[in-house]
Amino acid sequence: MIQWSQWLIDNWLLVATPVLILLGSFVAGLRLRKVAYDAFSQWLAKTRWEGGQLVVEATQRSFLHWFLLLGIYIAIQVSVLPSGSKIIAGKVIGSLLVLSLVWVTISLSEKLLKLCLTKIKAPQPPTTLAVNIARVTIIIVGVLILLDIWGVPTTPIILVLAAALFIAGLALRDAIPNFISGVQIAWGEQIKVGDFIKVEPGEAGYVTDITWRNTQIKTLEGNFVLIPNNTLARTTVVNYGRPVKKATYPFRFYTRLHLKELTGLKARNLREMVNILREVPDSVVYYHTHHFLEEHHYLTPEPANDFALWVSDALGNEILGERLAAIDTFDFPTIGTLKMRLVDVIEDYLARSRDWQTAPEGREFHFIRSISVILPTPYVAYDLREFVEVIKKITTGSIYFHIFEARLRVPKGTNDFSIWVEDCLEKKELGDKIAHLDPYIYTLESLRAAIIKLIEKNI
Amino acid sequence: MEEETYQQSKSKIQDYEPIVGRSYIEELRMLGDRLSGKVIQAINSTYFGGGVAEILSHLVPLLNQLGVDARWNVIQGSNEFFEVTKKFHNALHGKDEKVSPQDLSLFLETSQRNLNELKFYGDIFFVHDPQPVALVTKKKEIGRKWVWRCHIDISNPNQKVWNSLQSFVLDYDAVVFSSPNFAQELPIRQFLIPPAIDPLSDKNKELPQEIIDSVLSKYGLNRDKPMIVQISRFDYLKDPLGTIDAFEKVKKNIDCQLVLAGGTASDDPESETVLNEVKERAAGNPDIHILLIPPGSDIEINALQRAATVIMQKSLKEGFALTVSEALWKRKPVVASAVGGIPLQTKHRFTGLLCYSIDGAVYALRQLLTNAEYAKWLGENGRQHVKQNFLITRQLRDYLLLFLSLDYHGDVIYL
Repeated sequence: MIQWSQWLIDNWLLVATPVLILLGSFVAGLRLRKVAYDAFSQWLAKTRWEGGQLVVEATQRSFLHWFLLLGIYIAIQVSVLPSGSKIIAGKVIGSLLVLSLVWVTISLSEKLLKLCLTKIKAPQPPTTLAVNIARVTIIIVGVLILLDIWGVPTTPIILVLAAALFIAGLALRDAIPNFISGVQIAWGEQIKVGDFIKVEPGEAGYVTDITWRNTQIKTLEGNFVLIPNNTLARTTVVNYGRPVKKATYPFRFYTRLHLKELTGLKARNLREMVNILREVPDSVVYYHTHHFLEEHHYLTPEPANDFALWVSDALGNEILGERLAAIDTFDFPTIGTLKMRLVDVIEDYLARSRDWQTAPEGREFHFIRSISVILPTPYVAYDLREFVEVIKKITTGSIYFHIFEARLRVPKGTNDFSIWVEDCLEKKELGDKIAHLDPYIYTLESLRAAIIKLIEKNI
Repeated sequence: MEEETYQQSKSKIQDYEPIVGRSYIEELRMLGDRLSGKVIQAINSTYFGGGVAEILSHLVPLLNQLGVDARWNVIQGSNEFFEVTKKFHNALHGKDEKVSPQDLSLFLETSQRNLNELKFYGDIFFVHDPQPVALVTKKKEIGRKWVWRCHIDISNPNQKVWNSLQSFVLDYDAVVFSSPNFAQELPIRQFLIPPAIDPLSDKNKELPQEIIDSVLSKYGLNRDKPMIVQISRFDYLKDPLGTIDAFEKVKKNIDCQLVLAGGTASDDPESETVLNEVKERAAGNPDIHILLIPPGSDIEINALQRAATVIMQKSLKEGFALTVSEALWKRKPVVASAVGGIPLQTKHRFTGLLCYSIDGAVYALRQLLTNAEYAKWLGENGRQHVKQNFLITRQLRDYLLLFLSLDYHGDVIYL
């Protein structure tokens, strides 16, 4: 006992130094932890990263343990213990540190993975699988480090593990990219449920779900389309963001196709033309004043109407041809009034000039009746964005129906697009602008472009 | 009756999306859905050769892909029968043909035999041209809807022959013509549905230059000399002799070559005679190339059209002359007679030049051979015109609308 006391008195510094180092490490650890976690909390407050709190909870206590182990290790190294004991003590402390790190990493990775996979609504089996893969990977790495610390050869084990990893990678080569892309999409938050996206080239619609494998969108036709996450990550995606104001009533797009029915009636001169014209149904006048719009897109400006063209070309009467061409279809709310105007112009000319010019054989005017076939398309628009996207896709027949046929069908003498925009979206100014477009001076494609331009300015 | 087959087009309906757009194809599918449950039975006289067989070999498979149960049968007849129907054909075109009572009785006997042997399973019978026109007598027995598709220019028919056939035509529910000029004063409905070309067929698809060159080499054609090409059957109504006359007049001032290329059809016994006459007329002129193209050589026809500087169709009468649309689709300037359906395809001075005489054709050829920019502009317009109005997708749509409209009578049909 006296010998021990004497030894301590003689060598107090050798004892005090390790103890002081141990205490110093503990105090430094406490201080450093406060500084580091305060800074981390401030960063979290800025970024609002949901995983931040999990990092704090998982590491806060162990952080101090690691500093204690560091202190013990340094204390032992500066102590007077024999070198053999120091080496063994170093290995024990290193092993404890590795075990602690493995424990914390497993705990943290599980929590972060679950948080992320919950966001992309991954089902239970792949979630459990992902957590187990992460857990086993960390344990394997930990064990390899421990074996290395204790001097056991690890190369054969690493080779076996690499081979197993390669085989697993091959087996899951399709699922893994989708899974990783799903994590990227969910984590990056560039695409969220409710966004309107357009995937180039092809589908457009509202995002209804993001899963670990696919992103689901509801297209403008009302279909649900699953886009593999990997495809989405590699493709150009235009995200228009959140929905715009919903219409009080959706716009259903129709299309109008037409069939040409021959009446068997033909005119060889102006008198015959005006006599037949007076008697034929409106559908005949409609055909001869409108079919150029659908059949001659490439000609700008398009010929005015068949009557003017025939009078100029077949009868060689440029003066009356010009008068007939100058009749602006846009001015007439009904085909009946348009027909009467055509009849009046020809009668007026006949009353003054007594023109009995006859068309050459084979150049007679054949009266054709237009049979309109109307059918609904799968396209329905609930807001202005959907509306403009559908207008970009529909056929010219559909535009024709809602613009040209509507003018003769709806009482206001305007068109379906203007009425819907005004009545169901309360955008009177936009509705007026569309209504004021004179469709007869555009080709159908340029009319489509003009409408799109007007609407896109309003979104 | 022995079940025969035909060479189906390989094109799929979705293959047309890049050309006409997705929405257009969607509309066709919607129309096809509405014909679900109905059988369309097309009937004509041959599976091979000529425009009708070509149209049906594309149309029927495409209708099937749209969910429409369309099938195709042909009538059987002896050579004598087809000689009689060729007379009908010429007479309906306005040619002064002598149709004897014996000819008529042979026609009726063969029709009766086909009535006995053919299976009539359709809900809508889609009968083409005069050869099978008398099959409509079956309507009294089985009813259903009957449509007669007349591919012939009957603007000025031989009245005697027309009156004989009219008694059958009036039993149909509707008639379909290719051009407004063909309309007659009939108490039944008449529709206008021009025929169309298939842009994906061997005859119209894009070809690599090597193939075009190899075809030119095969027929000994000079690729450095302007080439006037007329593709058509060897038939008086296509006026191959008039085409040679026009060429020889142009050749006096412009160094060029003429290619008259065509085949024969199994239902046209006259074509052999015409071919020999044309060969005789062209003999001794090394710049006139008479090419007898066997059936199925569509790639070669395509190559010749693409190699052409100007394409001619100097017909005296035409049903429609799809060769004009084929040429326009290939952006080629066209000189064509203003007959049949040609004015529908060739809008004078916009998508080609129309002519009414040999001298008119000479004038138009000179204009095009000496004004490359103008010829190019016409060709580009022609391409757009065909895209809009003469592709098989438009024809499909019209036929679907026709079949659907047979149950309606108003100006507006809501489906």
